[in-house]
Amino acid sequence: MTNTPARNNEGFLEDAGRWTPEIANLIAQDDEISLSEKHWEILWFLRDFYAEHEMSPPSNRLFVKAIREAMGEEKGNSIYLMQLFPGTPAKTACRIAGLPRPTNCL
Amino acid sequence: MSPALHPGTLHILNKAPGHSRFITCLANLTNQDTLVLTENAVLAASDADTKLPEGTVALGADIEARGLSDAMPVEKQIDHQQLVRLTEQYARIISW
Amino acid sequence: MTTLIVIDQAPYGTWVGREALDMAFSLAAFDQPAALLFIGAGVAWLRRAQNAAGIGQKTLEKNLSAAPLFGIEQLFAEQTACERFLPDPDSRVKGITMAGSVNHLLEQYDHVVFAG
Repeated sequence: MTNTPARNNEGFLEDAGRWTPEIANLIAQDDEISLSEKHWEILWFLRDFYAEHEMSPPSNRLFVKAIREAMGEEKGNSIYLMQLFPGTPAKTACRIAGLPRPTNCL
Repeated sequence: MSPALHPGTLHILNKAPGHSRFITCLANLTNQDTLVLTENAVLAASDADTKLPEGTVALGADIEARGLSDAMPVEKQIDHQQLVRLTEQYARIISW
Repeated sequence: MTTLIVIDQAPYGTWVGREALDMAFSLAAFDQPAALLFIGAGVAWLRRAQNAAGIGQKTLEKNLSAAPLFGIEQLFAEQTACERFLPDPDSRVKGITMAGSVNHLLEQYDHVVFAG
């Protein structure tokens, strides 16, 4: 067994300091996602966003909006992001990126 | 034998300048008293309208949180342990 | 219709201002225009070089810097309060519009809410 660090009941890391790209790959397996360059572009964006603003985008809509602001319409739309990160994209992406759960995502 | 307690009052103030309790606290200070600024009260360090008595100290973590490190000399910044020690030196303490 | 959210309370001491910021972000999420006005001790939100790690909170200056990315139109600050609490212009964050008259600004909005 790989030693995955402790996670809460929603799959978010208990200790964000334990995150590594390898851990991201492990978490992504929960959603049967195999991380590609397209995923990583979003994940690194989110990690940079967190470092700069000390928060994850608080809701899915604001997640899409922030991506649109940074990368344009082609990627900043919910269909593209839903394809990469199924479920609630903001929540799935933050979980894989090792960031706190967006506060307003159910 | 424990050292003699300080004759003045230790005032622990956590309300922002302009708050009625901030105003009351500052109006009631005597020469023998010591003022400790915590939480929102540390904004007094950069308040043009407040004249802080000499000897006023402030909690360093609250100063740093609010970006006021340049406004309060480092020797006037205390940590929680130092605050506890201060409270032991005064017989009379008011938490505003 | 733009909602003007007024923050008149100092940062960190209470959760009131943080809730107001959440409200602004929620309006922005649904493309409802919102603007923020800082008055009184609330202008202390706009001081540079905040670091709230030592009090176990997130740094509001950094949280607030996300506002433009979410489409929050403008950040206003009461000029006299800035002169009182942030007398050095270099100590203020960038991108703030000074409001010489709060009354005049309030008159321009049909929907004004105060934090707390």
